[in-house]
Amino acid sequence: MTDLTDAGAGRPAFDRSRLIFWGVSLLTVVLVFGPILPIFIQAFLDKPLYDADAGFTLGNFGRLFSEPGVGRIFLNTLYFGALTMAVAQVFGAVMAVLVGRTNLPGRRWMGEVFIWPLFVSNLVIAFGWFTMYGPSGFITLASRTYLGGAPWNLYSVTGMGIVAGLSQAPLTYLMCLAAVTKADPQLEDAARSAGAGPFRALWSVTIPMIRPAMIYSAVLNFVIGIEMLAIPLLFGGPSGIQTVTTFLYDKGINAAVRPEYGIVGAAAILLLIVVALLVWLQGRLMQGAGRFVTVRGKASRPSTLDLGPWKWAAFAFVFGFVLLTILSIFGGIFLRSVVTFLTPLIPIWKVLTTGNFELVLSSETYVRSIVNSVVVSVVGAAIGTFFIVVIALIARRSEFRFRRPLEYVALFPRALPGIIAGLGFFYAVIWMPGLDAIRGTIFVLILAFVVRYIPVGFGAIAPALAQIGEELDRGARISGADWWTTVTRIILPILKPALFSCYALLFIHFFKEYVTAAFLYQPGSEIIGTTMLQLVAQGDNGPVSALATIQVIITALFVFLARRLLGAKIYG
Amino acid sequence: MADLIIENLTIKYGGVTAVENLSINVPSGEFLTLLGPSGCGKSTTLFAVAGLNHATSGIIRVGDRILFNGDSKAAVPPERRNIGLVFQSYALWPHKTVADNLAFPLILRKMGKSERDERIKEALGLVEMLPYAERYPFELSGGQQQRVALARALVYRPPLLLLDEPLSNLDAKLRERARVWLRELQERLKVTTVYVTHDQSEALAVSDRIAVMSMGRMRQLGSPREIYETPADSFVADFIGSSNFLGARMIESGADHALVELGDGTRLTTAPGRAAADGSLVVAVRPERISVATAEGPNTLRAKVEQKVYLGSVWQYVVRSGPVEFRIQTTFEIDAPEVLLHIPADACALFSEKPVGN
Repeated sequence: MTDLTDAGAGRPAFDRSRLIFWGVSLLTVVLVFGPILPIFIQAFLDKPLYDADAGFTLGNFGRLFSEPGVGRIFLNTLYFGALTMAVAQVFGAVMAVLVGRTNLPGRRWMGEVFIWPLFVSNLVIAFGWFTMYGPSGFITLASRTYLGGAPWNLYSVTGMGIVAGLSQAPLTYLMCLAAVTKADPQLEDAARSAGAGPFRALWSVTIPMIRPAMIYSAVLNFVIGIEMLAIPLLFGGPSGIQTVTTFLYDKGINAAVRPEYGIVGAAAILLLIVVALLVWLQGRLMQGAGRFVTVRGKASRPSTLDLGPWKWAAFAFVFGFVLLTILSIFGGIFLRSVVTFLTPLIPIWKVLTTGNFELVLSSETYVRSIVNSVVVSVVGAAIGTFFIVVIALIARRSEFRFRRPLEYVALFPRALPGIIAGLGFFYAVIWMPGLDAIRGTIFVLILAFVVRYIPVGFGAIAPALAQIGEELDRGARISGADWWTTVTRIILPILKPALFSCYALLFIHFFKEYVTAAFLYQPGSEIIGTTMLQLVAQGDNGPVSALATIQVIITALFVFLARRLLGAKIYG
Repeated sequence: MADLIIENLTIKYGGVTAVENLSINVPSGEFLTLLGPSGCGKSTTLFAVAGLNHATSGIIRVGDRILFNGDSKAAVPPERRNIGLVFQSYALWPHKTVADNLAFPLILRKMGKSERDERIKEALGLVEMLPYAERYPFELSGGQQQRVALARALVYRPPLLLLDEPLSNLDAKLRERARVWLRELQERLKVTTVYVTHDQSEALAVSDRIAVMSMGRMRQLGSPREIYETPADSFVADFIGSSNFLGARMIESGADHALVELGDGTRLTTAPGRAAADGSLVVAVRPERISVATAEGPNTLRAKVEQKVYLGSVWQYVVRSGPVEFRIQTTFEIDAPEVLLHIPADACALFSEKPVGN
């Protein structure tokens, strides 16, 4: 049954696999470094980037540091970031242990509610906090009226940090939850048979194993803190408190009268370096995390701890947290969107209105921003998923010589704050000849979003890819398939669930994005986030809450459908 | 059908040499087994032939077709080699049915639908899996998956079939049946076959010739009988079957025999062999070749029974004579504390050094 006349599969006229390797690598390098390069150059130019007379200077850094209050701004940023991290870590980790490992009443639904904040932007969250806990917020006024005082002040760096920390706690929660629930139950069983009580076993064996999750999420939350725009802008703005991001935002956008590109470039570079260092540090700290990885043979769950009478105290704590920092925030946004004026002093039914929604839906700009958001998310997530999966396949499943460097470059945007990505694309589009055609279109938004979230998508695809045995590729190769045929016909069909998850994650991130778009949108290419940012600045809280409500509803619908129809895994 | 020629194949990974200067000529239709402990380079060699590993230097040829040439750095990519390969894990594509698994290589060869169906039917028929054509791999048992994997490797009629421990995931009983069946199939198709295993009994049962490998080098190439009865060195004697290695001293070295003295003073006449420069050597003798003697004579010695293990079909003992300790096997039970043993001269092979790691 064998004969020599049967040669292998027909050889394509050219080696398309190599073409794909090089093409995708080149594209990745251009997309990732394209926006950073102009910022670097701008930081060392004495005139705007597009000015032909611009010359080299180091003066921008000098001017930045002689700017009044710059020291204060850097201190604010660091303190804000550190506080965000500390608050998020403490609450997130405690919640993860309580929800994941104890017989806390209502832990299922509270665990579900706990991840809601991850689906919406921190602009929406910040607005919700402002509505409820701001100086004239609903709960603030209620507390003053009925309890005789409201001892919190959001308009301080500490207040901002606590709000940011509480709204980032779900991220810590999610990472620690995975660590405590996926720990090998045999390890705790071994501690139990060695004489440890159930709490002791949890404390001495399992809790230490969430250390990598803690370290990872701590650095992540610190980075998110120092690159966060919404909370410092909303709460710091009125009282004149600035962080690096609001400084960049104000100087870059609002200072149209006196555009200071040089200073902006210099500040952006400093922020970029700090964040890149932190991400590098995170990688260093995570080295040797292997000793915390527990090998699981069977799909078994660790036992649930009985809290005994303490379970009601724990319930009060967790429920209080969920009620005060999540339910009330979302409730406040929804409530604000259907009233003319939100206050505990006037019964709600006397101020009910559909005016906010009518205003939003009758305005061409607002409707367009909703449509644009949907288009950017639907189309962008598809483009992003395709691009990212090809990168992942080359990086992890090819013989391409530069596959490791490609992965490093593709994951670099982790260290690229949204505001800098936006600024960089903004510069790149003016600077590079020919790119003017896409300036101010939603295409450039899609491009910037895709680049910024390559690491998010990669994180959804890479673990699934690692689950697929290499012999499946090898079997296809030896059967006569070249690399591209192998990955498209064999690997991609098996990878389908991960592709759906990647799409869903990208959709959610694109839909809630606002920072990256802040410098990039123009009339005609607004998205919900940028429109809300504008309206917040003007104090138009009615339409903001209506837009936020619409954004939350569309997101909820999408998450529901993605989970039901596509079986996508979104956050657990 | 074609012969496979490997010349001076060397495979290095960084500073580690996985395969060193390996040359094997596998004539058309032969069943050759690469046998050795894990890490000996046998799978590395196999995957280099398949093109899934990068060789460093040497030549790999199937018939007149050069697949790899280290001098000109020319390597045919795996998909152009037209070789059948069965993986240890079978590597059946989980999202395709059995028939689709077999169809894929044929589609890649631009074969028409009717011819394709014919080939698939024929190949599945060969492995007796025709009724399972529409099943998915996860619906099959391990043995069935193994047959499908073999059918997939044969369906495009490659001149060369490579098998990477294809039976190691089957249970012991099934494994024994499968190897008989595999050998029959290979003889019927007359496809040149290279088989990789670390299981010596499997290798002895199926192969025309066996290449014993260790640490990247080939130690011996020969028929199963040659390998077992006249091992080329102490490693092969140790790895194939099991051998006692008795330290000894050369007394007299002749052309057709040798006379050695064991540590307890016993003198043995043995097959000829060479000692190390200082006259020391080891005598390799398999436990089942040592028999219980009824009367003293040449090549006999008395030994104390120290340990007794019942293995079902045989008894195994550890016996000792002075400083000399070794194992023997009998089909009957020995009750006496001491026993007179006969070691036939042709059961003794002489090597100048003990096997490494023993």
